[in-house]
Amino acid sequence: MHDPNRRLPGERIFSVLMVAVSLFLFYTATQISGLSGLAEPGSFPMFATGMMVITSTIITFKTLRLPHSDVHGWKSVFPGLVILTIILMGFYALALQPVGFLPTSFVFLTIANWVMARGNPLRAALTSALSLVLVYVVFRLVFSVLMPEGIVPEREILAYIGSILNGGVK
Amino acid sequence: MDFTHFFMTWIDLRLLALVGAGTFAGIYIGAIPGLSVTMAVSILISFTFGWEMYDALALMIGIYMGGVYGGSRTAILLNIPGAPSAIATALDGYPLAKKGLAGEAIGLSTTMSALGGLIGIAVLGFAAPAVSEFAIRFQPRDYMLLAILGILLVGSLSGESLIKGVFAGALGLTIGCVGLDPLTAQERFTFGYIELWGGISFVAVMIGLFGVSEALMQLKHINTPALKQKITRVIPSWKSVLKFLPLSVQTSLIGVIIGALPGTGGDIAALMSYDHAKRVTKNPEVPFGQGARAGLVAPETANNAAVGGAFIPMLTLGIPGDSVTAIIIGAMFIHGLNPGPMLMIERPEMFWFILGALVLATVFMLIFGLTGIRIFVKVVELPRAMLFPLILLLSIIGAFAVNNALTDVYWMLGFGVLGYFMKLYGYQLGPVILGVILSRLIDDNWRRAIISEREDLGRLFHGIFTSPLSLVLFMAVVAIFFTSTPLWPMLKNKLRKAAAKKDA
Repeated sequence: MHDPNRRLPGERIFSVLMVAVSLFLFYTATQISGLSGLAEPGSFPMFATGMMVITSTIITFKTLRLPHSDVHGWKSVFPGLVILTIILMGFYALALQPVGFLPTSFVFLTIANWVMARGNPLRAALTSALSLVLVYVVFRLVFSVLMPEGIVPEREILAYIGSILNGGVK
Repeated sequence: MDFTHFFMTWIDLRLLALVGAGTFAGIYIGAIPGLSVTMAVSILISFTFGWEMYDALALMIGIYMGGVYGGSRTAILLNIPGAPSAIATALDGYPLAKKGLAGEAIGLSTTMSALGGLIGIAVLGFAAPAVSEFAIRFQPRDYMLLAILGILLVGSLSGESLIKGVFAGALGLTIGCVGLDPLTAQERFTFGYIELWGGISFVAVMIGLFGVSEALMQLKHINTPALKQKITRVIPSWKSVLKFLPLSVQTSLIGVIIGALPGTGGDIAALMSYDHAKRVTKNPEVPFGQGARAGLVAPETANNAAVGGAFIPMLTLGIPGDSVTAIIIGAMFIHGLNPGPMLMIERPEMFWFILGALVLATVFMLIFGLTGIRIFVKVVELPRAMLFPLILLLSIIGAFAVNNALTDVYWMLGFGVLGYFMKLYGYQLGPVILGVILSRLIDDNWRRAIISEREDLGRLFHGIFTSPLSLVLFMAVVAIFFTSTPLWPMLKNKLRKAAAKKDA
């Protein structure tokens, strides 16, 4: 839990950043339709971003006055595992379309599982394969979510399995 | 015959199965610490996107009902509330479990949750038609004030400071403005990108804030071991149910009322009911906090009763009571429904359908709650290293599935990282999503209100001060702001000193 009476590492930078973002958005809002009237397309955005500017400024002043917390170093608030996970997700998103859902997900799950459990990579691969089968059955087959196929000829495989099953019935 | 839709989920096997599956999944999702109903519903919206509306709603209602209850199980067994609404449950539930009475505690909390849920739904059934009839007379300015009040309440009650809550709400409102202005088609915050004309997909925002950021946050505690408990007899005796009946009716009513207030949900209802139980229970068998059964009954009835309550403003005014109902409203928009006073007039069958599904979900909750506890303990002990990669994977699929576009995945990642830091530094995320959902409503009603007053602020305020409803809403907004300024503690101090003087 965040202690409201102590300042965490990075909190100062974050609150200043929020002021900067708010100011930028407020400026953008003033450019929408100017200050010509109260019912213009820009009036509500100006109100919302104006609130952001006011509140973020108050938050920043309050934050600057707080004593430092016992937690030190950016690693304590932004640990390597979290950074790694974000990077991993970024790569997953990049590879999803060209490579396809199944291989990308398998690699993603295996690496994430292996890093998080700090265990045997083989075991991670096995659990990932199992979870992927489960996800595939539930989401691709039950929810019929279409995911990029990429390099795996999914439809052909499904059709082939279907034809075997149908053949078996005959 | 709109009323017949009440039984739709009961007769149609598909819908019956969906409500059942939803409730079952909800119980487990609510129970596993780190997984929340908000997370589940936000990820699910994208998958139920192409479904029939009835199917999608049946599943989501099941998850909501089950999830609110599910949090109590881990609260009792592990002293880790699976959901915020179960925080009060842990206070007396865990001491009971430590005494070896975990089974009884689970049984009692299940029965009482079901009772509270049913009372909440009954109130919804009677109150909603009346409220929506009343709401038809609402002026645009009333809607605007009510929506602002909702965001402020979520901001002030759920976090450490109102200012951070207001910032989060304003951020949500701004995100909701992105795209072409609905009235004039003027570009707002698009920065010249055509991709932004349609706005930022709120599903991507939601999954980022509630799915990804929560999972990233939990990565820090990935190696906390789970505790083990022995489970005894689960089905409670009639005697104990009857004994707590009067209390549970009282706390259910508290739950419905708190749930019905825009912005307040099961967590606050549970804490307030716990407090109420402490005051009215004269001779608890053991002191509160050491395993008093009344301390378990009160929050559990209240948080499930709050579900019925939360649907009242959502269905009649189109204003969500908490983040989960905000997401359900979003889902209803996607399926072409328009929650608000007209819903009851134009689509009364939807109202009966939702009511029927809620009752069915409560029945399922009772069945699943009193059975399968042993398997349950095993599932909760699932290694998180297996769980979190899966949640992240589902978040990505969910964001992608909405528009089959990678842009949404990047938005989701961005909001996931932003949400992580906001959470870390004590900003509330609930107001952001409420802001995104309500942005359009506030913008529309503000413009309607001010245009009808010929763009004259003086006339607008005159209208507010001469209408009792507008005045009450306006005063509530002002009061919330006032309590967060330094003037409020000064006034309190002064009053306290004056009282002390009087006593002396």
